[in-house]
Amino acid sequence: MAPIPTGSMTLQPRASTTSEATAEWSAPAIPDVAERLEHQWSSPPTLFGWLGTVDHKRIGLRYLATGLVFLLIGGVEAVLMRLQLIGPERRLLSPEAYNQVFTMHGLTMIMWYAAPILSGFGNYLVPLFIGSRDMAFPRLNAFSYWMYLLSGVLLYVSVAFGQAPDAGWFAYVPLSARRYGPGLNMDFYPAAMTALTISTTVGAINFIVTILKHRAPGMTLARMPLFLYSTGTTSALSVLALPALTAACVFLELDRRWGTHFFDSPAGGDPVLWQHLFWFFGHPWVYIVFLPATGMISMLLPVYARRPIVGHPVVAASTVLTGIVGMGVWVHHMFAVGMGQLAMSFFAAASMTISLFSTIQIFCWIATLWKGNPVRTTSLLFAVAFIATFVVGGLSGVVTAMIPFDWQVHDTYFVVAHLHYVLIGANVFPVFAALYHWWPKMTGRMLNEKLGKLSFWLMFIGFNAGFFPMHLSGLMGMRRRVYTYALSDGLGLLNLLTTLGSVLLAVGVLVSLANFWRSFRSGARAPANPWKADTLEWSIPSPPPSYGFLRIPAVRTLHPLWDDFDEYADPRNERLLLGYRQTLSTTAMDAEPEAISSGEEDTILPLVLAIAITATLGVLIARLLWIGVGGAAACVLLGAGWLWPSHHEHAPAAGPGEEVAA
Amino acid sequence: MTAAAGTLGVEPEPVERETPAPRLDQLPEDEHRGTLGMALGIVTEALLFVCLFFSYYYIGHRHPHWPAHPPEIGLALILLAILLASSATLHAAEKQLKKGAHGAARLALVITILLGVAFAVIQVKEYRNHLLTLQPRTDAYGSLFYVITTFHALHVAAGLLMLIFVACLPTLKPAKSPKRPLHNASMYWHFVDVVWLFVVVLLYLVPWWEAHHG
Repeated sequence: MAPIPTGSMTLQPRASTTSEATAEWSAPAIPDVAERLEHQWSSPPTLFGWLGTVDHKRIGLRYLATGLVFLLIGGVEAVLMRLQLIGPERRLLSPEAYNQVFTMHGLTMIMWYAAPILSGFGNYLVPLFIGSRDMAFPRLNAFSYWMYLLSGVLLYVSVAFGQAPDAGWFAYVPLSARRYGPGLNMDFYPAAMTALTISTTVGAINFIVTILKHRAPGMTLARMPLFLYSTGTTSALSVLALPALTAACVFLELDRRWGTHFFDSPAGGDPVLWQHLFWFFGHPWVYIVFLPATGMISMLLPVYARRPIVGHPVVAASTVLTGIVGMGVWVHHMFAVGMGQLAMSFFAAASMTISLFSTIQIFCWIATLWKGNPVRTTSLLFAVAFIATFVVGGLSGVVTAMIPFDWQVHDTYFVVAHLHYVLIGANVFPVFAALYHWWPKMTGRMLNEKLGKLSFWLMFIGFNAGFFPMHLSGLMGMRRRVYTYALSDGLGLLNLLTTLGSVLLAVGVLVSLANFWRSFRSGARAPANPWKADTLEWSIPSPPPSYGFLRIPAVRTLHPLWDDFDEYADPRNERLLLGYRQTLSTTAMDAEPEAISSGEEDTILPLVLAIAITATLGVLIARLLWIGVGGAAACVLLGAGWLWPSHHEHAPAAGPGEEVAA
Repeated sequence: MTAAAGTLGVEPEPVERETPAPRLDQLPEDEHRGTLGMALGIVTEALLFVCLFFSYYYIGHRHPHWPAHPPEIGLALILLAILLASSATLHAAEKQLKKGAHGAARLALVITILLGVAFAVIQVKEYRNHLLTLQPRTDAYGSLFYVITTFHALHVAAGLLMLIFVACLPTLKPAKSPKRPLHNASMYWHFVDVVWLFVVVLLYLVPWWEAHHG
């Protein structure tokens, strides 16, 4: 690790911010409490324990690992495309294969990597940020993960059939209609997307309830870490926007295989309906893959700047406003369709407005660095690279809100450059910043800073060398999604640059993966708070015990570990909560203690239900209607078994007095 | 508070309350989590129907006569009456349960379920009549009409399954458990009823009105 020079710190954190500090408490010492909690919360080291765990930390790590695997798969697809486009008129991929590769690249990166990996951070970190021992619905959380994994499996089963989706990640009809795609390719699309929608929706509901009901006493809305604002906002967006995708997918599949006419103009339907429904979901999704990343930046950047973030309330409000306005800009993806002047002006204005809120956040981050005393860790480098890249991506975005310009560059590589600057800039870089920041907490081991910085520079240079030329090739008229270009187009050099840059970016990612592997094998042990950070997760050991917090903390400021208040003061021994997997519920606004939430035991029902739902969607692709009905019935029975009262609910609650006296 | 405050000291806030607070570990069990989760589930389902109705009007505004032949409203109104009655009986069940009258609550719940089944049976009959003149594959209107009403029917089925599940529970309100299965299931059932109200108004009454008075 790069030791933070303590002399450069403007803030001296309390010396005792580690878990050992909690034991110093003047409260009567209770020697076996930790053991007892461990016994209650940990899953047995068996196959059942592995498949049935509902521990938010293990589920979070699974999300992160699965998300990184999808990043690699999507990366391989990207490299395939770049090798095809390295020079004019090459024949590495057939046009049909190229269609499948770019569609799967977009789907994998946007749907199965970018958002789920942020859910992974959320799953792991949200309960730790708020001093809770688990999410509000632990079993639903496990279900959400299994649905995510299996929806990805369902998507990639199509590759095994050689019939991967091939009409682009936004699957415009009529290209995705049966007339132009009689194979199963675009039947896998609605099935896998619907499965992922189920996962995302229940996950979002879980986040909202957790954030509203499980914050530590005293953590009022105004004292909430910024990641909770961004995760809360994106969860609300998921709940509101995903049904549009579900409706669109149902219409598409019915049109393709069951003879309905939603998108079929001769029979009175309208293909533009697909575009409205898709982008009503699709544009909020852009914020879903972006806002939590900014939330993580807002939390880790001040740590390395060694000062509180400038304008916490402003950043929080901008986050929420981005979400609200983000629901009303979907039509800017459709300016080329042909619409009324008034509608287009409205959506253009809304699209320009939304950049205000991002700008406010950017100025707050810059001011934080400016007024602080930055420590140059790998994590901070990625955070700063995010700001720079995001500014470029934001500018190339706001110019396309101007309709005449949009018409000019629509469907060219200019848009491809824009969306990669936004998605790599505002998702991949923050994700790596967050990995380098929270890795020691999650694994208990430090990462190598030298390898980290090498990886950073390779990624940063590779990314800009590769993707900046795309702006130019786009302005020169290169169309996206076309498998090759002619020698006479004069695009060879720019594309060669793009390919070389992309390969450098990929090498940078691999260096980080090697760093992760090395840390697993031989990384230095991480202390509880290696970065001298300010939030609650750094007050417990690295990695955290299965129960998270020995005592439920109380919070008095925005920076629990930088203030003088002791979060774990518990003279009455009332914060141990020794009943079965208990944690505290508080009121939604003021975080006043309200009730106790008893947890749920490990179960494999979430996994079995996820398998049943995915299999049901799978047989519907094959049009086996009656097997599908049987599958649905099985899902209903499994759901009933899940909800049936368990014996724990009838067991007498542990009398706290007697427990403590032990 | 502002984050940019120069000091990070504890806010001047009373550390001790005036009256001794109850022990945290003796607080009652939480009963709001499930209800909040169900409420959010209903929000997302409601948005699904918003999208369906949006599609209905989006396609409709391109047609001079939408729909070309308005559906019969008689059975739809009877169905509405049945669902409203079922909401009333379900509300009664909740009231009885609050009073502790478990037997009466269960009876009202069973009546609600029977009304729900009656709804399903009559809707099958309505479909049978309707399919003689209009089919999902006839045109875009047919696709929309049947998919919207079938989506609603699936929600009726889901609501019925929830109510049957609750009716089968050993006790409607376990003494120790904080969960409120009847309350949460009835929230969903009332939602399903409200959706049918929208279906009747938008898909049956408005076209009927336009055909006769427009």
